[in-house]
Amino acid sequence: MLEDQESPVKIRVNNLTKSFGDLTVLNDINFTIKKGELLAIVGPTGCGKTTFLNCLSKLMPTTKGEILIDGEVANPRKHNISYVFQEPTCLPWRTVRENVAYGMEIKGVGKEEREERANKIMELVGLSSCADLYPNQVSASMMQRIAVSRAFAVNPDLLLMDEPYGQLDVKLRYYLEDELVKLWRTLGSTVLFVTHNIEEAVYVAERILVLTNKPTSIKQEVVVDLPRPRDLIDPKFVEIRKLVTELIRWW
Amino acid sequence: MAYQKVEVKKPLPLIVLPYISVIAFFGLWEMAVRTGFIPDTLLAAPSTVVQTFVDKLSNINPDGATLGQHAWTSIQEAFIGYGLSLLVGIPLGLFMGWFKVVEGLCRPIFELIRPIPPIAWIPLTVFWFGIGLTGKVFIIWIAGIVPCVINSWVGVRMTNPTLIQMARTYGASDWQIFKQLCIPSALPMVFGALQLALTYCWTNLVGAELLAADSGLGYLITMGGRVARPDIIVLGMICVGISGAIIGFIIDEIEKKLLAGIRR
Repeated sequence: MLEDQESPVKIRVNNLTKSFGDLTVLNDINFTIKKGELLAIVGPTGCGKTTFLNCLSKLMPTTKGEILIDGEVANPRKHNISYVFQEPTCLPWRTVRENVAYGMEIKGVGKEEREERANKIMELVGLSSCADLYPNQVSASMMQRIAVSRAFAVNPDLLLMDEPYGQLDVKLRYYLEDELVKLWRTLGSTVLFVTHNIEEAVYVAERILVLTNKPTSIKQEVVVDLPRPRDLIDPKFVEIRKLVTELIRWW
Repeated sequence: MAYQKVEVKKPLPLIVLPYISVIAFFGLWEMAVRTGFIPDTLLAAPSTVVQTFVDKLSNINPDGATLGQHAWTSIQEAFIGYGLSLLVGIPLGLFMGWFKVVEGLCRPIFELIRPIPPIAWIPLTVFWFGIGLTGKVFIIWIAGIVPCVINSWVGVRMTNPTLIQMARTYGASDWQIFKQLCIPSALPMVFGALQLALTYCWTNLVGAELLAADSGLGYLITMGGRVARPDIIVLGMICVGISGAIIGFIIDEIEKKLLAGIRR
């Protein structure tokens, strides 16, 4: 197979359009995500990023267009789609371990494998020590890590992240972004990361799609071919960051 | 570092005030009856009520049963009715909160029955079941079911929508979401219903017994009226109050234990 030379396309989005009555929010969006890629999407505030994710995750019906996973129409029952929301989504009556396993439970993963995968991921993100605590006993950043772990644990075909670290302070953010990159590289998942923070996008992504204002379409694609771990003050990093900033400012 | 338990001393007046008010209340009441300010045909003095209480523990006159038998009848009726209303009301409310079909089917009838005071059912229940246990259980069931349905329903409705979305993106079915998210979210409200429904059941029980019964605490009060014995009336009222408070306290304790076990 040719897998090693060129990763196959995992996600293909064709003519994605979403309108609410007369208001067109998403206008004819086309793009692909390669298998195992970490793609970031940035755009001006209120450009419909969340609507975009809700369409991709099938939480919302689309007006036009299709989303294909491995060439098939996306279906949350059939495909493993994970979604990490902006706000924490821990189930307060389950322990950290049970929360991490929740996605797998819905997917019908067997008990032993659930335990095993949950343990592995909790080990990776440093949640093992609080595996038997309840969410109200851990900090806010821990809660978001639980959600991220739960999302990775189902071996997602597509992992959607909606500004998962938007509410955390800068230092913690860098830490969690590193953790995300680590998880992604270890598990080889296909990730779509939505953020309004340009630095964050350049720091984590392999490729960035810049969106326009409403009606939203893709303005430009920026490839970030920097080595990891990335250096925030590397001139190349700064250059890409400036480029993306310009693209967003210029509408 | 362990937390130190700090004893905060209440100022003396705050400690004695409740006692003063209770003593003053009963003292004034006793005085009012003793001095003839209120004739003893209209109200019994507390001391008389205590005497009647001791007497009624073994004496079946003039109403045909001892105090214990009356209380037992009432408690039996209350708990059967209460249990049935929980059994039907809580699942019904939970289903109505999540499944649109159930809500569509049950809501109009529920809204129609809800504003009817349970006591208004008495004449019908007398036709249907006579004046025995079944009729009163029915009234209590009607009374208790309303808070059960409403609380469970609201509890399910209060499930965090983001949690539901999260489960949906993993492909959870409606039933899975109901079982794994909605029911646990609704639990605190459901426990609230246990307490509320008990109050409804107990008050309506006594109401039902006042009008159609041959024993029970409410019946004792009515009979006291018939034979012009204010001491029996007051005794009945006090028993209703005290036993209601005791049952409420027990339910409260059980609820605390259960909630602590489930939500930690």
